[in-house]
Amino acid sequence: MADSEVVLEPPDASALASMLQTANANGQTVLPRGSGTKLMWGPVSTPIDAVLSTRRLATPIDHRPGDLTATIPAGATLAAVNELLGRGGQWLPLDPQVSSEATIGGIVAFNDSGPRRHRHGTPRDLIIGVEMALADGRAAKAGGRVVKNVAGYDLSRLLCGSLGSLAVITSATFKLAPLPPASRTVVTATTNVETLTDLALAIAAAPLAPSALEMEGPPYRLAIRYETTETAAERQAHATCAICDRFNVGTETCDAEREDQLWLTLGSRMQNTGGTLVKMSVLPTLVGETLRTIEHLAAKVEVEYVTIGRVALGVLFVRLGSKPQAHSDIVISLRRDVEAKGGSLVVLHGADALKRQVGTWGNVGSSLPLMRAVKARFDPAGTLSPGRGPGGI
Amino acid sequence: MDPAFLNELERSIRPGGVLRDPTELITYESDALTHLRAVPGVVVIPQSAAEVQAVVRLCHRAAVPFVARGHGTGLSGGALPSPDGVLVVLSRLTRILAVDIANMRVTVEPGVTNLAITHRVAPFGCYYAPDPSSQVVCSIGGNIAENSGGAHCLKYGFTVHHVLAVDVVLPDGELVRLGGTTLDPPGLDLLGVLVGSEGTLGIVTQATLGLLRRPEAVLTLLAGFDSIDAAGGAVSEIIASGIVPAAVEMMDRLTIEAAEAAVHPGFPDANAVLIVELDGPRVEVDELFSTVETVCRRAGAATLEVARDNAARERIWKGRKAAFAAMGRVTPSYYVQDGVVPRTRLPEVLARIRALEAREGLRIGNVFHAGDGNLHPLICYDESIPGQADQAAQVAAEILTYCIEAGGTITGEHGVGADKKANMPKLFSPDDLDAMHLVRCAFDPAGICNPGKIFPTPRLCGEVPGPYRRHPLEQAGLAERF
Repeated sequence: MADSEVVLEPPDASALASMLQTANANGQTVLPRGSGTKLMWGPVSTPIDAVLSTRRLATPIDHRPGDLTATIPAGATLAAVNELLGRGGQWLPLDPQVSSEATIGGIVAFNDSGPRRHRHGTPRDLIIGVEMALADGRAAKAGGRVVKNVAGYDLSRLLCGSLGSLAVITSATFKLAPLPPASRTVVTATTNVETLTDLALAIAAAPLAPSALEMEGPPYRLAIRYETTETAAERQAHATCAICDRFNVGTETCDAEREDQLWLTLGSRMQNTGGTLVKMSVLPTLVGETLRTIEHLAAKVEVEYVTIGRVALGVLFVRLGSKPQAHSDIVISLRRDVEAKGGSLVVLHGADALKRQVGTWGNVGSSLPLMRAVKARFDPAGTLSPGRGPGGI
Repeated sequence: MDPAFLNELERSIRPGGVLRDPTELITYESDALTHLRAVPGVVVIPQSAAEVQAVVRLCHRAAVPFVARGHGTGLSGGALPSPDGVLVVLSRLTRILAVDIANMRVTVEPGVTNLAITHRVAPFGCYYAPDPSSQVVCSIGGNIAENSGGAHCLKYGFTVHHVLAVDVVLPDGELVRLGGTTLDPPGLDLLGVLVGSEGTLGIVTQATLGLLRRPEAVLTLLAGFDSIDAAGGAVSEIIASGIVPAAVEMMDRLTIEAAEAAVHPGFPDANAVLIVELDGPRVEVDELFSTVETVCRRAGAATLEVARDNAARERIWKGRKAAFAAMGRVTPSYYVQDGVVPRTRLPEVLARIRALEAREGLRIGNVFHAGDGNLHPLICYDESIPGQADQAAQVAAEILTYCIEAGGTITGEHGVGADKKANMPKLFSPDDLDAMHLVRCAFDPAGICNPGKIFPTPRLCGEVPGPYRRHPLEQAGLAERF
């Protein structure tokens, strides 16, 4: 949690901008907060003067089903949003797993996503417009309410993943998807790393359209989800089982409650239950090698761990459990390995000492000075979320 | 232009790369928006990223503005030269540098054409998804500048959804990498704001793009309707039934006739045609396609052809993609506009356009991406009649106000460029434009990179809007600004 006594809870976007303007004028620092489900992610928190909560910016949710779009205030939770959109047969196809309380603003600020990223992408892929409060309290917007729009700079995408460092998101407009009529998930029996990755790549290369292609382990297994018409879901699940048969990997196909429970269990690995949680991004063909490296590093010091992720995209999360004193070395070695192959490793959650020793972000590359320049233009007084981003941004 | 500067330019790139002869310069005075013209001070045609960088460094040192140009197919004057500046032509950077099929990525130079990328990876069953109608000739660098879409963007998104990384020469000559070979590189998403920035933030010298696998099945239908409203009704029904086609295109009688005369696609004699394409796993496509057919018939389709094979499908698309160029057969000149409205407001906006057509006495053809509300009115005029070119431009501007009033936008694909700057304040408040300007100043504080595009009012980047506030740490001498 942030180190602050003061929590500001403006009733609407205009009041939010006003409070921000006051804080900015007084040289104070502010941390925007939705439900606070990811506040412990990122660098060691620095003292701030006030938390600026979007809790009361939760309504109205403007759903335009004929256009397959919706404009959503930043403080609305994704759960509440999809409950409402669902009544119109549509949804915002995001499934971040950290908490069902996560708000739209927070999800956009972290560009957070889950297993369905495989088909639907991240908030960055779905966002079409944004309203924001700049650090000096002025209100600004970018994009619009239509799916195709190239008028002006794409500040919507710039704000995705910006961690509250450039502006406070007050609302976001998204392109939606129709709610799929049916769902099937094929979950495999456990197998070794090589078979797991070969199988995953074979499924990804097949003429199938899964909404999720997820791995977890050890022990390693895959979960492949199809969300479409009843016939298409059933047939594609069947075809997936046939591929798994060729690799001598057993399968179980589930739907309804059993399927829901499976995905809840997979998602629970992401929930903040302690330990060290890191996110890695590697080339899809290097997932197997990376899993072997983690195995090797953890085995050397007898540290328990679990990995989940979007195996065909190369986006993996590792939670190290026991023996926290051994985690720093593992993370340092893992990051070195991953970065050498063009990837990245970010520390999401961990002890302060580990974050200080290891660094949250790793090597950000040649554009860091440019990132600083953008931050300096948007927030010259350093009001917003100081130190949350790389290079002190 | 300063002769010393020109000499330095010539020294910085290989022989033949600098054009100074006035007759050569005139060739580059416009892109495909031919009514906006300006002769550049000099044209340079680099053959490597290093040469691009050298040129930009010189421009920065001499405070000379520069404009980048791909293959000149742009429709908003984005590559309209600065008369006192350098036009940097990227058409010789045409190498495909790396192909990684296993990871579904390619790395290319900016002058590679959009379709050349797909051709290169086609033997592997892959393709590059964004497919603007000009894809045979348009450059990937231009696509990145404009965040180009194409008919299949309804399902597959735009250029920004498929670019993983770029090397970009910043306006001060620094070369940086934005994005990454892997997903979610840490830090601000500067790549996300660079794509679609219309060449105002730097020059891309290399891009890593994501590929897709060809879908198992593609089914395409061509339906003829007695009215645009009926065709529009079919589209609404398709969306309402929970189907997201890969593409939904509509053309009206005038554009159908033009296309038919030009490339003979065998379009029906109708007041409106709808092209609907579904793709994906066969089992899904077959089922959903029969729903689409039913919807079209119920909406009153007078004719309905399902493409039997690839040749038939290509024939139908040839008719659609030839529409703009084909207009040359039915009118001496035409002005293409590019507005977007929420799909549900299309009927109302189209009715206003029909009234406008009657009032002005200029025929207006309509081709549009019906699935996402992006319309391309084609305003016919005769350049040889005094004042008609201006009249056509005014009609185009009026159509844009209809789009704005219906909650849409002034450009879905072609960009703001020089053409639509004046309309930006109708969409965005001064504070909105200021916020965008913050990005421009971070990338290009000297204001030399494609100046005069997108934003209606030139601004100096030294200005910091609002009262300047020193951070307390700054005041105490404990911290510095970057």
